Amino acid sequence: MISVRELTKLYGDFTAVRSISFDVAAGEILGLVGPNGAGKTTTLRCLGGIIQPSAGTIAIAGHDMRTDSIAAKHALAFIPDEPHLFDYLSVEEHLRFIARLYGVVDVETRLPVLLDELELSEKKRALPGELSRGMRQKLAIACGLLHDPSVLILDEPLTGLDPGGIRRMRQTIAGRAANGSAVILSSHLLNLVEELCTKLLVVRQGEHVAYGTIDEIIQAHPHLLGQSLEDVFLALTSETKAAG
Amino acid sequence: MNAFTYLIWTSGRNRVVTALRRVRSPRYAAALIVGGLYIWSFLLRPNNSPASLSSLLGQPTEMIITVLLVLTLMGSWVFGSDTTALAFTQAELSLLFPAPLSRQALIGYKLTRAQIAVIINVLIWVFILRRGGTVLPGPMRALAIWVMFSTLNLHRLGAALVRSAWTEHGTAGSRRNRWSIVIFAAVGLSLVASLIGAHDQLGAVHSTGAFFTVLGRVLSLPPASIGLYPFHLIVAPAFAQSITQWNRAILPAIGMVIVHAWWVFSSDTAFEDAAIEASAERARRLDAIRARRSVGAIAPPRPASSTLRLASVGHPALAIFWKNMLCLRRTAQLRVFVGPVTMAIAIGAATSGAGADLGLVFAVGALVLTGMLLLFGGRLIRNDLRHDMQHLPLIKSLPIPAGEIVLAEVASSALPMALVQMILVDIAYVSTLASRANPLGADLRLAIVIAAPFGILALNAAILTIQNATAVLFPAWVRLGPVVSVGVEALGQNLLATVATIFSLAIGLIVPLIAAWLVVMVVSGSRATQLAVVIITAAVALCIETYGAIRLLGRALSKAEPLQTT
Repeated sequence: MISVRELTKLYGDFTAVRSISFDVAAGEILGLVGPNGAGKTTTLRCLGGIIQPSAGTIAIAGHDMRTDSIAAKHALAFIPDEPHLFDYLSVEEHLRFIARLYGVVDVETRLPVLLDELELSEKKRALPGELSRGMRQKLAIACGLLHDPSVLILDEPLTGLDPGGIRRMRQTIAGRAANGSAVILSSHLLNLVEELCTKLLVVRQGEHVAYGTIDEIIQAHPHLLGQSLEDVFLALTSETKAAG
Repeated sequence: MNAFTYLIWTSGRNRVVTALRRVRSPRYAAALIVGGLYIWSFLLRPNNSPASLSSLLGQPTEMIITVLLVLTLMGSWVFGSDTTALAFTQAELSLLFPAPLSRQALIGYKLTRAQIAVIINVLIWVFILRRGGTVLPGPMRALAIWVMFSTLNLHRLGAALVRSAWTEHGTAGSRRNRWSIVIFAAVGLSLVASLIGAHDQLGAVHSTGAFFTVLGRVLSLPPASIGLYPFHLIVAPAFAQSITQWNRAILPAIGMVIVHAWWVFSSDTAFEDAAIEASAERARRLDAIRARRSVGAIAPPRPASSTLRLASVGHPALAIFWKNMLCLRRTAQLRVFVGPVTMAIAIGAATSGAGADLGLVFAVGALVLTGMLLLFGGRLIRNDLRHDMQHLPLIKSLPIPAGEIVLAEVASSALPMALVQMILVDIAYVSTLASRANPLGADLRLAIVIAAPFGILALNAAILTIQNATAVLFPAWVRLGPVVSVGVEALGQNLLATVATIFSLAIGLIVPLIAAWLVVMVVSGSRATQLAVVIITAAVALCIETYGAIRLLGRALSKAEPLQTT
């Protein structure tokens, strides 16, 4: 579903991401973790077609993001950490807009279900400026899920959500993966990553330092055996720092 | 260095450094060179030609600017439209409000920040007026304009503070407004009385220039001059025709600045609540505007009570157009059209002489308005990439080719603007049918009305493509967002940008005009036919050229990146 090879992104002399490769199959959830400034958002933005990689290839559902970006974008949903919404479209209008862009023919059926699921029904005529941070995040999530994407890219998706919203979002992510979607989840909430993700990609200073299932990563670093994911994460990122 | 000076100095320095770093990009470097040459040719190049602009600084303009000043301040007092006069940035709100600072200190900081914008605009205006070879030396002109802008700025802030105090004390709206309403009503009555008294004089003139000359003279005599007196004091030095006049006018004007400064600084209104409300209002809609270049009021958003229908299937680019139509509907600021409409009516009335030929009044007014909207319309509505570049990550994640996005965005502002202009041309045509004057002849008028839609559509598409291109190619230099800058202080910058757009359009028109000339060489027919052929041919050529530019812009958009975030 998602195939990334030698992904590199340069900003002038600064290398934000250096030669990262990974795959996410249907039904898998990849946890992308790393300290602040590690290159997570840059990687996700490249995957979402928002920025162009300096080198490397990205394939989404078999479509190359460079040569066949429209088909690739049709297959994915990118949900950023900061909800980007149009100031002058109401909640319902956002969803109708997305439905038209992605050709969702049964929008009339899906729309009320999604609004109910994300508790936005009562706010469907509200403009983003009238919504709380959490509500705006829910709207961004609804926009991402409306067209039933086969690839989900989530950048800190729980930011601003209330406890109920967090639980529902966790269930949604797991449910989407169970139905065959490939999911990439970037988060600093390591308990969430541990609970949901089938694979991990640990990055630091733009380079990957570990990739695989948690068991595979611990196998490669036997001294981390029996430790929590938080300890593993801190050890991996500090090991690299020490090595660097 | 105190904390505020440090903040202003370091922010300014970092901003300049960032701008200079940007010039390392070839695109920005090229633009800087072209822009530099343009500013040099427009503003700085020595001008030995007769004082073309000095004629604009005469009594008619002086009185009209005074009336505009009254209207602006009336907006602040009576309608409370200047809700953002007290706005601070979110960072200022978070860091300065909880800090151990007096209200006067916060007001002082706000005024100092505003002075940067005031001084930039003063410089622009001094250079613009310098081209006219006016008699006043630059520093005197600069001081006069600074006095005018600073007083205006202080007055709006003072009005916002007083209104904030009214709100604080919970006085009923009509009661708390009564004094401002009474004062402005008195000024209004003095104007109306003068205009009624001069009705015959105004009706007797036969040209636009004469109309404004008479209007200026009428407004400079009692009773209008009495009502306008305090406002005129602020404006007078900027329009002084000699150093002696300036010497006479500058002291009272400086006195007005001092009185205003004393008024604002002596106010101890608890403005925090109003400031937080105003800041939230501004932040919600202007977060992405990197530099605040206008102190003009911002229209509140309209609730999404009604919508436009959008089918769930069809060309996806139409969804962008639909989205932008909703944006236009919810952000359109009718008050920005008040100036052009008023001017068009005045010119129409002036051209019609005694006003007996109403058909001609309407025709000239409609055509003048068409021309003004053609030149400035693109700056009045911004429901295209100049707004959506704020949402670049979202726009770029959409499954639509970038070229189609640009096409839909340009169409979003070009089509509504073209439609309004076409209606105006039709109004002008129908009005001429009712006119006794038979201007241009029936056949030429018919040719124009048939060909005009082509020309209007092509010109609007070209002008708005140029303006969208600046947002895509130079997002760091362009004010992004749907809000129109309407403050007096923004006039200088708007004028520069408009001239730059016209200059680019002139270059773009070279090929279409050559094409039109070649076609007219081989087409025989009446004058009317040839005129229609010229307009249509040039329009088609311009449309082709614009479409090519849109495709190129699409490529640029696909390469555009949001600010680096890791």
